[in-house]
Amino acid sequence: MDTETHVRKFQKELSAGTVALVLLVVLARATEPLYGYQIAKQLESRGGVLAGKQSALYPVLRNLHAAGLLDSHTEPSVAGPPRRYYRITDLGRHVLADWLATWGETRDFVENMLKDFRP
Amino acid sequence: MNAPVNAIPTPRTLDEYLEQVRAALAGADPAVVQDALYDAEEHVRSELAEHRGVDEADIIAKVASSYGSPEEVAAIYRDTEVRVMRALRTPPAPPRQSALGTFFGVAADPRTYGALFYMLLSLATGIVYFTCAAVGVSLSLGLAILIIGVPFVVLFLGTVRVLSLVEGRMVEVMLGVRMPRRPPYTDRSLPLLARIKDMFTDPRTWSTLLYMVLMLPLGVAYFTVAVTGLALSLSLVAGGFAGVLFGLGLLDFDVVMYGPPLWTAPLITIGGVLMVFVVLHLARAIGRLHGQIAKHLLVKAG
Repeated sequence: MDTETHVRKFQKELSAGTVALVLLVVLARATEPLYGYQIAKQLESRGGVLAGKQSALYPVLRNLHAAGLLDSHTEPSVAGPPRRYYRITDLGRHVLADWLATWGETRDFVENMLKDFRP
Repeated sequence: MNAPVNAIPTPRTLDEYLEQVRAALAGADPAVVQDALYDAEEHVRSELAEHRGVDEADIIAKVASSYGSPEEVAAIYRDTEVRVMRALRTPPAPPRQSALGTFFGVAADPRTYGALFYMLLSLATGIVYFTCAAVGVSLSLGLAILIIGVPFVVLFLGTVRVLSLVEGRMVEVMLGVRMPRRPPYTDRSLPLLARIKDMFTDPRTWSTLLYMVLMLPLGVAYFTVAVTGLALSLSLVAGGFAGVLFGLGLLDFDVVMYGPPLWTAPLITIGGVLMVFVVLHLARAIGRLHGQIAKHLLVKAG
């Protein structure tokens, strides 16, 4: 049975739902502003589903910025177009705390549902 | 999963990669294409800078699996755009069924106020754009015979591009039309002269200039319509009360008062309220129209 497309679709949906949370955590933990490539490399080094296609991170970063959860500034780089550095805002930290609570509830619920199930 | 799905050759250089991303995004919103290319270039150049001395083709191959193949990148940007538009933007108000709902619902639509604000602001921005364009063009022509003419033209056209991005941001925020969030992609591997030539041959440069000139008459018209419409309708609303309560608005010729009879006062106020909504409708319609003008002249041309 070919389940690969279903697996991939599920991965995609899971990562779409959690990537914003992960990006906020990465930036909340960082001591200095990071640019897209550095963030992508951090996710990559931890592996997992979210490390999928890194091009998915940039639009999300931009949207978090548009929503006021991230601050950004550009700096010229020797290597090409100016790099956009991101830093978490106070609003971002508050939202992150709320998201973590929501995530905790969701995770507990899902684990609770799966607890006694043996395929 | 990362193997090329069809006959498209594997990109070997950054330019080929970006060209394939652009091709894969064909038909998407030009503003999305511009953003996607900018992000991809930033990422790939960072990757190249990280591994100096490694063959570019190897890096691009690595990028195609980590950042995504051109088709995957295109799919991601198409998807994210749709999802984000739904999640982050103020959702468009559900269409009202009744004619009354359609007429009064305009007051609950945030776009209306954005458009109204844009109309008031456009007088100022119009003057700035027009002045910049007029001074730039005439100085460029005037200085053309001197040696500093060429750098001046280049500087001027560069300014035009920056202003195009700035105006795009304002249009997106106030009028809700998707505009680029990144400057247009320029091929940085080309020598300076070729890039300057690109700026001259890019129709967007000239259409932006046209837009800047056009913004003066448009801005004056928008501002006039907004101010006149608001002043007239709001004073009608207040006029009904003023006439009844304070006897204002009546012509007083030596004790003999001329003015509309008392019973028309409520009608005047009601007429004023209706007119406020007409003005709001007008503002929203102008906002939509101007959004399309901006999109065509600042982004689509070319």
